[in-house]
Amino acid sequence: MNLRDNWRIVMLVVFVLASTAALFAPATSPAAGANNTTAVDGASTDPTNLKYGLQLAGGTRIRAPLVGTTAENLDIGQDERTSVRQTVVEEMDVESGDVNVRLNTGNGDAVEVLTRNVSEQRFRSALETAGVDADEATIRPGVTAETRQQTVETIQAKINRGGLSGGSVTDQRSATGEHYVVVDVPNANTTQVLNLIGDQGEVSIVAHYPVETDNGTEYRNETVLTNRQLERAQIGVADTTDSGTPHVPATLTEADGENYSEALVDLGFTSSEATGSQRCRYRDNPEDAGYCLYTVLDGDVVYAASLTPGLAESIESGEFEKAPTFLMQTTSLDEAQALQVNLRAGALPAELAVDDGTVLFLQQSLGDRFKSRALLTGLVAWLAVSGMVFLRYKSPRVALPMLATAAAEVYLLLGFAAAIGLPLNLSYIAGFIAVIGTGVDDLLIIADEILNEGEIATGRVFQNRFRKAFWVIGAAAVTTIIAMSPLAFLSLGDLQGFAIVTIVGVLIGVLVTRPAYGDVLRNLMLNQQQRD
Amino acid sequence: MVEFVVPEPEYDRYSNRQLAAVPLAVLALALLVLAGWYLMTGAPVTPGIEFTGGTEIQIATGDSQAEIEQAFAFQPDEIQPVAGSNEYIVATQVTDTDAVRSQAEAAGYEVVSIQTRSASFGADSQRLALMGVGVAFVGMSIFTFALFRSFVPSLAVVLSAFSDIVIPLALMNVLGIPLSLGSVAALLMLIGYSVDSDILLNNHILRRRGSFYESTYRAMETGVTMTVTSISAMTVMYIVSSLFQIPLLPDLAIVLVFGLVADLMNTYMMNLSLLRWYRFEGVNR
Repeated sequence: MNLRDNWRIVMLVVFVLASTAALFAPATSPAAGANNTTAVDGASTDPTNLKYGLQLAGGTRIRAPLVGTTAENLDIGQDERTSVRQTVVEEMDVESGDVNVRLNTGNGDAVEVLTRNVSEQRFRSALETAGVDADEATIRPGVTAETRQQTVETIQAKINRGGLSGGSVTDQRSATGEHYVVVDVPNANTTQVLNLIGDQGEVSIVAHYPVETDNGTEYRNETVLTNRQLERAQIGVADTTDSGTPHVPATLTEADGENYSEALVDLGFTSSEATGSQRCRYRDNPEDAGYCLYTVLDGDVVYAASLTPGLAESIESGEFEKAPTFLMQTTSLDEAQALQVNLRAGALPAELAVDDGTVLFLQQSLGDRFKSRALLTGLVAWLAVSGMVFLRYKSPRVALPMLATAAAEVYLLLGFAAAIGLPLNLSYIAGFIAVIGTGVDDLLIIADEILNEGEIATGRVFQNRFRKAFWVIGAAAVTTIIAMSPLAFLSLGDLQGFAIVTIVGVLIGVLVTRPAYGDVLRNLMLNQQQRD
Repeated sequence: MVEFVVPEPEYDRYSNRQLAAVPLAVLALALLVLAGWYLMTGAPVTPGIEFTGGTEIQIATGDSQAEIEQAFAFQPDEIQPVAGSNEYIVATQVTDTDAVRSQAEAAGYEVVSIQTRSASFGADSQRLALMGVGVAFVGMSIFTFALFRSFVPSLAVVLSAFSDIVIPLALMNVLGIPLSLGSVAALLMLIGYSVDSDILLNNHILRRRGSFYESTYRAMETGVTMTVTSISAMTVMYIVSSLFQIPLLPDLAIVLVFGLVADLMNTYMMNLSLLRWYRFEGVNR
C-alpha cells in the first residue's frame, strides 16, 4: 500500500492512536492528576480518563444570579468615594456593608447596592443626592465584575473548607447578558450545598443588655465584633470542650481585642451582676434575657451566653488584651463547624439569588443508570443504522468500513473530550448521536459517488469523484456548523455542550474520518476488481 | 432477505402544481395549528418545565400514584412512574426546591433527583432558544443563497427547511408534547439534516450531466437512504430512551422523526417541483 496515496488513512490512524492515548493513558490531561482523585469517587472504577458531569455522576448544581443592582457609567472622584457610599447607604436605608463604590470598571465608575428589590428611581435620586451625575448612568440588575469575582472565590473557599470535595464554581454569562454563578458539587445534596452557600454567612457578636430607663427595663443591642473583625481574627478548629460544649476558638488582633474588652466593660458585661444574677437566660426567656452575648449568623441568633466569671475577671484586669482568645460557643458541633467555615472563608460579598436560578440534584446511582442506559441507547441507534446500511448495499466491503468509520468518529470525539477534560452530560451524548447521524449521511454520499457507474478507476477519476462528493459534504457540514454556532458561542446551559460536541464532531468527520473512508473504499474496490 | 431499494417515482405523471400542492397544504395546515395555538394559549407551542419554571422531583417509594398526589402540599402537574422501578417523576410549577424536597422527605420518600428552574430563568432560556433557532435559520439561509447564487434553487432549500421545522412543532402541539431543551436541539439538528438532502438534490440536478429524471433518481437513491437511515435510528432511539426514562433523548428523537419524515415529503415533492420548474421554464426567462 502506497502511504502517499493513502495519507488520509494514515491521518485517521494517527488520530485514533492519539485518541486512545488521551482516553486510556494514565494522567494524560494535566487536570487529571491530583484533582481527579478527589473529584468523583465513582470515577476510580472507570478505566478511561473521561470525566462525567453531574447528570452522569450525581451531585448538586446550583446556577443563580447574584443579588444586587449596579449603576454604571458614573464619574466619581477618588476622594468622593466614602461620602458617596455613606449618602447612598442613608438614602437607600440599607446597611453600610451593602453598598460598594468601584472606580474604573469596564463601564466607568460604578456604585452597587447588594440588596433585593432596589427601586431604580430611588437609586437614581440617592446618587443625585450624593452629588453624582446620574443622568448618564445605566442601572442594571446584577453586581460589578469585581464583586462577582470575589463572590466566586469565596464560594469556592467555603466549599473546599466545608468538606465537600471536588466542587467547582464558575461565572457564566448568558447570551442575554446576565451573569450566573454556577456551583457544581459532586456527591452532595442540595441541602448540604445550600446550607453552606445559600446565605451570605455573615457572623457577628452582638451584646444584648438591659438598661434601666424611666419606663422600666429596656433591652439594647450593640455589635461588639463585626464580621470583618472576626475575619481578621485567627479562627481555630471546631471542637467540644471537656464539659462537652461545642465551640470555635478565636484569637482577635490586638487592636480588635482592645476595643472588644473596652466595649464589654463599658456595657457592664464584666460586672458581678452580669455574670451572676442577671446572667444570660436567653433559652428560657428570650424576652427578658439578661446580659447576653449573641453569636449572630445572617441576622439569626445561633447562640447566646454570658461571660464566664473567669473571662470577665481577665477582661477587667487587662489580662485578656495580652492574649485576646475566646471561645465562640454553639449548641451543636455541626453549628460550630458551619461557624468555622463562615469565619475562615469569609462572608459572601453578594448573596446568591437561588430562587431566580436553577437547582439540580441527582443521586449517584441515577447518574450511573443514565450512563449505562445512554450508552446502550447509542449502541442500539448505531445498530439500526448498521441494519439499514447492510440492507442498502448488501456488500460488507462497503458497509463494514462505513460502520467502522462512524464508530471511529465517536471514538475520536471521546478522545477529544478526555483530552480537554470536558465533563460529559446527557446533552453531549445527544451530540454524539447527532454526529453519527450526519456522519452516516456523508458516508453514504461518498460511497454512492465513488461506486457510481461501476468501475473504480485509479488516479484522476477517483480524485474527481471524491471532490464532487466532498463538495456536497462540505456544504452540509458548513450548514450544520452554522446551525449550531449560536448555541455554542452565546449560550449558557445544557444545549451548549450539545452544540460544541456536534461542531467538533462534524469538523473531525469532514476533515479526518470521512475522507479516509473514501480511500478505504477505493482500496477495497480496487482489490476486488483486480481479482475479478 | 429484505431488500432496501429506493423506488423511482413516476414524476412525469404529475404537474409541478400537483406535486407542490401536497407539501404546501401540509405546511399551511401546520402554520394554522401554530397560529390557533397562539390565539388560544398565547404561545405557538406549549413550553415545557425548562421554559416556564418549576420543579421536577424523582422519588423512590412503595406508595401508589394516588398516595403520592396526597403527600405533597401542592397539586402536582404530572406524576409519571419510571418503568421497571419503584420510582416516580413528579412535576410541579412550584419553584421552592427546599419545600418540595422536605415535603418528599417528610412523606418518607427517597429523593433520587430534583431539579428546579425559576420562572425568570426559564423565560431567559426561552428567549435564548428562540434566538438560537432564529440565528441558525438566518445563517443557513444566507449560506444557501451564497452557495447556489440563484434564487429559485436557494429558495427551495430554505422553504423546505422552514417547513421541516414548522411541521414537527405543529405535531408536538397536536400530540401534547411540550417544548423542551431536547426538542430545541432537535430543531437545530433538523436545519442541518434538512439541508443535507436538499443540497444533494440541487447539486445533482443543477451541476451534473444527464437528464433531469436520471439525476433526480440518482440523488434520491442516496438522499432517501440517508433520511430513512436517520429515521430508523431515531425511532429506535425514541423507543429505547423512553423505556429507560433517560431525560432529553426521547424529546430529541421524536422531533427528529417528525422532521425527517416531513423532509422526505418536502425535498422530493416541493423542492423537486420548484427545481423542475426552474430547469424547464425558469431558466429560459
